[in-house]
Amino acid sequence: MMELIAALLLLLFLSVGFAGAALVDGMLPAFLAGQSRPSWRRPIADAARLLQTQRIRTEAPDALLWFLAPVLYLALAIIGLAVIPFGPGLVTIPSEVGIVVWGSCEALTIVAVFMFGWSANAPLPLIGAYRYVAIALPAMLLSMFVLIGAALPAESLGFTEIVEAQRRVWNVVRQPAGLILFLMLGLAISLRGPFDYADPADLAGGTTADVSGPMVLAWKIARLTMLVSVSAVTATAFLGGYLGPLLPGFVWLLLKTALILVVLVGAGNFFARMPPARMMSVIWTMLLPLSFLMLLAVGVELLLWG
Amino acid sequence: MGLTDLLFLALSAVAILSGWRVFATDSMVRASFLLLLSFVAVGLIIVMLAAPYIGVATVFMMAVEMMVMALFMVMFMMNPAGLNPMMMVHQHRFSIVAGVLAFAGLTAAILFTSFPKIPVDPSTPVVHDLGIELLGPSMLIFETAGVTLLATMIGSVILSSRSGRFGMADQGSRPPGLEPDGEPAGRQPEAGNGHHHHH
Repeated sequence: MMELIAALLLLLFLSVGFAGAALVDGMLPAFLAGQSRPSWRRPIADAARLLQTQRIRTEAPDALLWFLAPVLYLALAIIGLAVIPFGPGLVTIPSEVGIVVWGSCEALTIVAVFMFGWSANAPLPLIGAYRYVAIALPAMLLSMFVLIGAALPAESLGFTEIVEAQRRVWNVVRQPAGLILFLMLGLAISLRGPFDYADPADLAGGTTADVSGPMVLAWKIARLTMLVSVSAVTATAFLGGYLGPLLPGFVWLLLKTALILVVLVGAGNFFARMPPARMMSVIWTMLLPLSFLMLLAVGVELLLWG
Repeated sequence: MGLTDLLFLALSAVAILSGWRVFATDSMVRASFLLLLSFVAVGLIIVMLAAPYIGVATVFMMAVEMMVMALFMVMFMMNPAGLNPMMMVHQHRFSIVAGVLAFAGLTAAILFTSFPKIPVDPSTPVVHDLGIELLGPSMLIFETAGVTLLATMIGSVILSSRSGRFGMADQGSRPPGLEPDGEPAGRQPEAGNGHHHHH
């Protein structure tokens, strides 16, 4: 029964979250550029235009994988959100290994993006796919160490226990750098700003260079849904998830998710993308050791005062 | 036949069929993804066997592993981006004999083993118990296996990357000639230590 209510809430969360993400993604860049009242109709107009655009194809693509990639991407975003609790015991897929399920979603997302670029059988999508894998795999490693740091105080891999363990102090206080590292992962798996090595402008669209119309729309929908999911996971792991006074847990989670989402879209617009080789050294030589340090700090803290 | 049985049969079918397609497909990348699909099905079966951590971790590890494998295979094989069709099997006679023997051996092992019929009590903290086991009594085995695997990976990359496309990696690369045994193609490096200014 609880699962059924949670599934309905999941649908509501997805719809509200997706609409919000589309609006923020469409309006925030214009707002940052100085327009005081950017139009909220842009995303809808864009979607309508994409639906009517002519469809193109490349020479001898792997049609099945090409079609499946956006579907897999969207499915992973939904599965990732389904292990997030909306309240005590209110979770669609109750799992005592929630963060491992989410980790699988991250890893399979990289596969989905690679599939999308590879199956086009064309140079630019392929380059996008390969360099995305090179950057996103270590970024995912980072996020897992950070998540283990969030799981340590809870002594559990389940998201519900992780939220309950934050009643005294939120994880963002325990590992502030962890939150920033996890936001970087959020940028990487929602293909955004400084971590978008798959389909950015410097590759003329990269993985999306040789697709058009409805296929681009499907890809954008999957990307925005993943943005909602990763924001909700961040809010749950670091900002106490559904915890909060007065309002119901679902509303609190939605508000915290919205905050993270705005931060992610803003970061995507503020920060520039580094050359892939430099980004690779930054991740392996600076950010990964930093994530180890965060994990060590949380462990030492719990040993001494836990 | 309950829902659980149906789910088990469906997942087994996916695992076996995609495992077979690994060898029937014509591209390394497709083969990796089919193998991944097979492993995902096996991982979900392990989840059904009341081992959620091992099952989900299998999916997680295999997703990363197959992606890395596809990347490395494409780098080491001279098949641009893995887009050219290629044969995924070799040493046919040997593989057939090995396959038949392995199948017979495993089938015999399954038929002659008496499996326990004690269902896991749902209230058992399986993940907790596994963690205590892995990082307690089995710590030494677990860590030894991990470090050995890492050393093997690094060693195999170093060994296999020495013979590069244009000659040994530690002797400097030399592009092949335009005709067999001819002068190397492309611009020739000038004599001296290479710090020349052209005017």
